[in-house]
Amino acid sequence: MATTAAAGETAVKSVMRRRKRDRATPLEYGRKGWVQLVMVASFIFLYFPIVALIAFSFNDSKRNITWQGFTLKYYVQAFNNASLHEAFINSMIIASWSTVVSTVLGTMLGLVLHRFQFPGKNAFDSWVHLPIVIPEISLGVAMLAFFARIGMPLGLVTVTVSHIAFSIPFVAVVVRSRMSGFDRSLEEASRDLGANEWQTFWNVTFPYMLPGVVAGALLALTLSLDDFVITFFTSGPGSTTFPVKIYSMVRFSVTPEVNAASTVLIVVTLALTVIAMLIQSRTGKQTVGHG
Amino acid sequence: MQDWRQNKLVFGVLLLPPTAWLVLFFTLPLAIVWVYSFGKRGPLGETLLAFSFDNYLRAIEWINLSILLKSTWIAAVTTALCLLVGFPLAMGIAFSPGKYRNVLLLLVILPFWTNLLIRTYSWIAILRTRGYVNMTLEWLHGKLDALLGLFGAAGALGKFQPLELLYNENAVIVGLVYVHLPFMVLPLYATLEKLDKSYLEASLDLGAGQWRTMFSVMVPLSLPGIATGTLLVFILSLGTFLTPDLLGGPDSIMIGNLIAQQFGQARDWPFGSALSFLLMYATFIFLWLKAVISRREGGVSY
Amino acid sequence: MTRSASSRFSRRNFLRGAGIAAVGLSFAGTARRGWSQEERKLNVYNWDTYIGEATLSTFTERTGIEVQYDLYANNEELFAKLQTGNPGYDVIFPSDYMVATMIAKNMLMELDHSKIPNMANIDPDPNFSDPPFNPGLKYALPYMWGTIGIGYRKSAVETPTSWAAVLDSSEHSGRIALLADMRAVIGLALKYLGYSMNSTNEEEIAQARDLLIKQKPHIKTFAEDNGQDLLLSGEVDLCMEWNGDIVSAMQEDDDLSYVVPQEGGMVWIDNACIPTGAPHPENAHAFLNFINDPEVNAEIANTIRFATANKAAKEFINPEDLANPAIYPAAETIAKSEALIDVGDFTPVYDRAWTEIQAA
Repeated sequence: MATTAAAGETAVKSVMRRRKRDRATPLEYGRKGWVQLVMVASFIFLYFPIVALIAFSFNDSKRNITWQGFTLKYYVQAFNNASLHEAFINSMIIASWSTVVSTVLGTMLGLVLHRFQFPGKNAFDSWVHLPIVIPEISLGVAMLAFFARIGMPLGLVTVTVSHIAFSIPFVAVVVRSRMSGFDRSLEEASRDLGANEWQTFWNVTFPYMLPGVVAGALLALTLSLDDFVITFFTSGPGSTTFPVKIYSMVRFSVTPEVNAASTVLIVVTLALTVIAMLIQSRTGKQTVGHG
Repeated sequence: MQDWRQNKLVFGVLLLPPTAWLVLFFTLPLAIVWVYSFGKRGPLGETLLAFSFDNYLRAIEWINLSILLKSTWIAAVTTALCLLVGFPLAMGIAFSPGKYRNVLLLLVILPFWTNLLIRTYSWIAILRTRGYVNMTLEWLHGKLDALLGLFGAAGALGKFQPLELLYNENAVIVGLVYVHLPFMVLPLYATLEKLDKSYLEASLDLGAGQWRTMFSVMVPLSLPGIATGTLLVFILSLGTFLTPDLLGGPDSIMIGNLIAQQFGQARDWPFGSALSFLLMYATFIFLWLKAVISRREGGVSY
Repeated sequence: MTRSASSRFSRRNFLRGAGIAAVGLSFAGTARRGWSQEERKLNVYNWDTYIGEATLSTFTERTGIEVQYDLYANNEELFAKLQTGNPGYDVIFPSDYMVATMIAKNMLMELDHSKIPNMANIDPDPNFSDPPFNPGLKYALPYMWGTIGIGYRKSAVETPTSWAAVLDSSEHSGRIALLADMRAVIGLALKYLGYSMNSTNEEEIAQARDLLIKQKPHIKTFAEDNGQDLLLSGEVDLCMEWNGDIVSAMQEDDDLSYVVPQEGGMVWIDNACIPTGAPHPENAHAFLNFINDPEVNAEIANTIRFATANKAAKEFINPEDLANPAIYPAAETIAKSEALIDVGDFTPVYDRAWTEIQAA
C-alpha cells in the first residue's frame, strides 16, 4: 500500500516537475536569483586572481604591468633557471621522504587510536592533534630554535624532519576516519577461521585500510610540496624548496618569470590532486564492491 | 575497541614510533621555545637562558598588545566576510540538484589546492596602483570623461586618482578572505547538506516567508557547521604570516609578522618565543570556547 | 651440506669483496679530494641586483665551480642568518659597520692574501685599503661603495632638498617608501634631527623613533631593497634608496632622478668576506680573486651602476658613469655625509627602537 502510494506520489511529482520546470521550488535555493548572483560573483572572485596570474606569465614585458604581447620566454627562463631546478628537485626529495615516513608513522598512529583503549587516551589524543591546530609560525620558529639548540645545520634533513612531524597527525586523522567504518567482526571471523594476527591484518584489515592510507599519503604529499612557513624557517642554502624560492623571487625581482614558475607549481599540484581523486574513486569503488 | 593490555605487543609496536617522533620533533622544539620565552637577549641577539617574565610583560605592553588586538580584529572581519559570502555559496551548492553539487564543490576546492604563496601574490597585480582594478577604473574614468565631453563638460571629473588598495589593512583582509573562503564553505556545505529539509518545508507551510525561514530555521540548524567554519577561519587568520607580509603595509603588521621579525632581523628569540606562546594560548582559548559551545549545543560535534 | 657450505663460502667471498671495494673506493675518494680539492660548488649570499649579468656564468666557465646565489635585504637579516652558525654560505657582502660586528664575534675567516693576487687592484686610498673597521684588509675586501639618498619622480614632486621630504612631511602622503634597513632609516632620521648617525644617546634615538612613528601614516611601505621597482611601477614617487639602484632605474625611465639632501646622506662601503665555517673556502678565495679582476669588476659596476673600490677596473668603466655625481659623488657630498660604525653593546637600543617603529 505504501509503495503504491509512494509510486503515485513520484508520478505526480514528475508530472508537476515537467510542467513547472522553469519555476524553482521554494527550497531550490540554487536556482534563486540572488543566490546565483552570489555564486557567480564568488567563483569569479575565486578564479580571477589565478587565471590572471597564469595569463600574465605569457606577457612579453619585464615590469609585467600592462599586456605587451605573448611570449614563452619567461617559461624558458624559468626552465633554465638553475636555482629553480635545484629548488624543484629539493621539493621533490623532501616531499617523497616526508610522504613515505609520515604515512607509515601516521597510519600506525591512526590504527592505534582507532583500535585500542588505554589510560590517558583523551589527553594523548589531544596532544597528537596539536600540530594541526598550532599556528604554523609558532611551529616554524620552534623547529628553528630546536635545530639551532642541538647544533644541527639547516638543510634537507631539517626540512624533511619538520615536514614529517606536522604531517603525521593529518595522516592519522584520515586513516582513523577511514577505519571508523570498519567492521571488526570481519577480523574476528578471520581469526575464528584459523588465520593468525599477521594474516588477519594483511588479508582483512589492510585492504580495507588502503584507501585511507592512500588518501593520507596524498595529503602528506601536498602538505609537504606546498609548505612555505615551516620550510622558510628550517631551510638553508642548497635546501631551498620551490615555494620558498618563489617567495624570494617575489620579494626581490618580480618579472613574469615568477608567474611562470608559479604556473608550473599550480599545474604540478593540480595534476597530483587529480591523480589522487582518480585513485580514490577507483579504490573506493573496489572496496564497496568487496564490502 | 580493545583494551591495550589484550595485545600489548601490537599496541607497543604501533604506538612507539610515531609517539617518539612527535615527542622528539614536536614537543621538544616547543619546550625549547617555552624555555627561551623566559630567557634574555644578549647584546647582539644571542639567547641567554634565564628565568624572567620580562618577555611576557613586554608582550602585553600596549605597543605589542595592540598588534595582537589588531590581528584579532582583522581575523574577526575576515571571518565575518567569509561567513557572509560563504553561507549563500554553501546554500546554493547544497540545494542544487545532485549532479551539479559535486562539480560546484570541486570548483570551490580547486583554488584551495594551489599554493598559498601564489594565491596571495596574485592579488598584488590586482590591487597595486597600476593593477587591474585601478587600470579598469582609469579606463572607465576615461570613457566617462569622453562621454561628458560630448556634453561640453570634459574634465569635470578631474584627474584620475588611483585607489590605494595595496599595502594596507584592506588588502590583507581581501587576501585572507580569498585564501580562507573554502575553509568556511566546506563545513557549511556539510551541515546544510545533511539538514532535514522537512523542517524548512514545515516552516514554509506554516506561513513563514523565505527570509524568516532562513534566519529562524536554517541558520540555527546549521550552527555546528557555522561554528566549525568560523573557528577554522578565525584561528587560521589569526596566526597568518604570509598574507600581511606580502599585501600589508606599515599599518597592518600582525602577530605572525612580529614573531617572524624577532627570529629574523630583530634577533630577539626570547621575545619572539614569548609572543609565539601567547599566540598559541590564544588559539587554545578559542578552541576551548568552541568545545564548550558545542557541548552545550547537545554534543553535535564535527 | 655441500650447498650450505658453498653458499656460506660465496657469501663470505661476496662480503669480503664488497668490503675491499668499499675501502678502496673511500681511499680513492680521499685521494681525489685530498686537502686542497673541494666540491666544485660555491654558495654566495648577496644583496639583490648586486652582481654583473655575466659574472656568475663567467666564473663557472673559467673555474667549473657551480654557484648557488641567495639574496638578503639588509645587514641585520644577513647577521641573523649566520648568528646561530653558518648554514653553508661561502661568500657574503656585509656593509662596513657589520664587518666590524662580525669580526668582533669571530664570524669572519681571515683571508689568505696569497690566494687573492688581484687584491693589488684595489684603490690604495686608505678608506679602501686600510679602513678602521678592517685594518690591512685582513677579513674583507672592499667591493662597492656609494650613498643613500632620495630617489624621486621629477614630474610628480619638486626636487627634494631635505630629508624632511620623506621623513617629516605629509605632502605626497602614501607615495613615500623608506628602506627596511634599521641602521639606515634610524641613522638618517638622527642625521635629519642634527645628531650623529651613530648616536649612543638614548634620548636622541627616542626622538628619531618618535619622528619616524609620526611619519609612518604617510609611508606606503618599508621597501626591502626594491624601492626603485616601486618608483618605476608608479607605486611611490619618493623613496629612500641606494644610489646605484636609482641610477639603474633611471636607465629605464628618465623621469626619475636621485639626490643627496642638504643635511647629507649616508656613505657606505660593502665588502666581500668569507664567513667562518664556510664549506668551500678555496672556491671562495678564488671567487674573491675573480671579482677583483679589472674587467670582471668593471662589468659588475657597469651593470649595477655603483662605484667600485677597485682602481684598476676604472679603466673599463663607462666614462659617463665615472663622471656621474650620483654614482661617484663630489667631495663635498661625501664630506657632509656620514658612515655607519658598529655601536657594539648599544645595538639593542636600536633594535628595540626599530621594533617599536614597525609595531606602532
